[in-house]
Amino acid sequence: MTATDTAPAAPAAPDKPVTPSSGARSPRRWSMLFMASPPVLLVLVFVGIPIVIGIAFTLGYTGGLNSIASMLSVSVYTANGWMPSLAAYGNVLSSERFRSDLGVTIWVTVLTVAIVLVLAWCIALYARLSGGRLGKMLSGIAIIPLFIPVVIGAYAIRQFYLNTGFLVSLGRQFGIQLPSWSYHTPGIVIGQVWVSLPFAVLLISSGLAAVPNALIDAARDAGASLGRSVWSVMVPMTTIPTVIVATFTAVGVMGSFTVPYMIGPTSPNMLGVTLQATFVAYLRPQDAQVIAVVLFVLAAGIGALYVWANARASRSSAVQL
Amino acid sequence: MTTAPGSDRSDGLRLSGISKVLGGRTIVEKMELQVSPGELLCLLGPSGCGKTTTLRMIGGFLNPDAGRLTINGVDHTHSKPERRPTAMVFQNYALWPHMSVAKNIGFGLKVRKLSADKIRQKVDWALDLLGLQHHRETMPARISGGEQQRVALARALVLEPEVLLMDEPLSNLDAKLRVQVRETIREIQQRLGITTVFVTHDQEEALSIADRIAVMNNGRIEQLAAPAELYARPRTTFVAGFIGTMNTLDVGPAGGGVPLDDGALLPCDTFSGAAGDVCWIRPEDLQITEADHAGSVRAVVLRVIPRGHYREVLLQSHGSTLRAFTDGEPDVEQIVGLRATNALVYADDALVQDDEPARPGRAVRAVADSGDRG
Repeated sequence: MTATDTAPAAPAAPDKPVTPSSGARSPRRWSMLFMASPPVLLVLVFVGIPIVIGIAFTLGYTGGLNSIASMLSVSVYTANGWMPSLAAYGNVLSSERFRSDLGVTIWVTVLTVAIVLVLAWCIALYARLSGGRLGKMLSGIAIIPLFIPVVIGAYAIRQFYLNTGFLVSLGRQFGIQLPSWSYHTPGIVIGQVWVSLPFAVLLISSGLAAVPNALIDAARDAGASLGRSVWSVMVPMTTIPTVIVATFTAVGVMGSFTVPYMIGPTSPNMLGVTLQATFVAYLRPQDAQVIAVVLFVLAAGIGALYVWANARASRSSAVQL
Repeated sequence: MTTAPGSDRSDGLRLSGISKVLGGRTIVEKMELQVSPGELLCLLGPSGCGKTTTLRMIGGFLNPDAGRLTINGVDHTHSKPERRPTAMVFQNYALWPHMSVAKNIGFGLKVRKLSADKIRQKVDWALDLLGLQHHRETMPARISGGEQQRVALARALVLEPEVLLMDEPLSNLDAKLRVQVRETIREIQQRLGITTVFVTHDQEEALSIADRIAVMNNGRIEQLAAPAELYARPRTTFVAGFIGTMNTLDVGPAGGGVPLDDGALLPCDTFSGAAGDVCWIRPEDLQITEADHAGSVRAVVLRVIPRGHYREVLLQSHGSTLRAFTDGEPDVEQIVGLRATNALVYADDALVQDDEPARPGRAVRAVADSGDRG
């Protein structure tokens, strides 16, 4: 120890030992908490409170901050004193339209996630293994939609697949009657794939790029075919990016509005469109918030998968260190 | 795969006129190489000399542009890696991080569709061989570098390859561990009698482990010889400079000695050849004697570097700086005598090698002595 290491310290009181956590570091901890508080408070005020108020509204608490929304509603279910009411949930969940819209939402989400994963994997894998110009070109083309506003992309897709659009017209030139997918559920899936693919390609490409060539070579050297090497080495090592792509795409698609609104049919459509119509057209904010809560619960379930993937990634990196 | 005419199963590995061009640059040029069954051959050379490219061509990860490659008489020039009877130990171990040690070792056997019992039996054999039984279910990230390297070796050996390929397998280990793993590799290689090609840029590693060493430079083999032969008689100045330490005197032998910078002669007992452009002397072939000792030239000690059981001494003699190894303990700035026991003579970068080493006569030594005194 040198003279500059520590200043002579006053002896600690025998009944109150000084510990690093309770003594000198406490002011520092408080100052760190103070520094972190603005974003925390911002999230609490602008996200947390509206969520709580919204959920309260769906349970029939129509007073206070929910009174304006109640006034705008054509009908609301109210709580019996402090006892919450589940009548709004019963009304929405028993509705035929809600059920078919929920079915479309889940179907479009599952199909979009599946197609996006397959396409992103194929493009990223081809680019990773070939390393050639075509692979790089494909990866480049796949991220173009990132730079085109969704509303413009959705409009273009609707026009392209319309009954009078390019694809159907081209088919007619050759005497083939192609289906028109605009204003139909397949059109929504096409739009969702367009929007989600760039991010998926970027993430899976970076995941595959992180698999060292030596690991693939080692599998080939051990006698595995290229397909087996991909399946046994590259797929397991890219699980985390794949789960992240799947969860982000699923949550994004589930809560989307622009694509189903512009390309999808009037009914059944995805819940984002139904939610907007319920609020604006039917003036039933309470029902709209019930739909929002259902979407929130579904998204939270998917979010749990994302948290699990991240936790697993953290554990793996901790082991590597 | 075809069987080469006139070849038999005990051919070992044979490379005939193998060439490879990458990015417009010739990396390997018309390489001729034969590795006998059970032999451990080292490919030694500086970075970029083509040794790893050669190994990757043997492993099937690169296709040669020209030439032919056979293993035990079977043509594997264009076989895919999974079709070759080879197994490689990679520089960075290349263990699959999501598989346990046992699964890493057993992967190749699983690909070959062996029964679970057979796989367990062979994996146990490999774990026992490399002393890894206690790490059977451990993940690779949780074991040390040396243990990871042994897992990589076990993974290769369990496949019972005809040729084992090792790409700088010790370069990521610390000095002490490198020696331990090196000895383990050599012991197992000899016990199993497996034909091995070992790539390294570390000459000490090559000299201590190989049956023969192929020194590569610019895509060609400069010299292929046993370690002792390679050290004693490096055929080119490149090999001489690459293997061990050398005193390089850019002047040919004259008057039975080696002229130093100011013209004084360093007496030398024997030369590899009578005439040449340059004389190169190993530090251990320089003898430090008492000052003014008969048959020596005067030198001053500049620096003494302890090397454990011997000392490396830097000397200045008649304008030339020389390096000698000695058991003695000279002091810095001490005046000593210096003589050479052997010098390698090169002409046009090739070793001049007479049948009988050239020995200078008594008159020569007298000239050296008088030159020094003058």
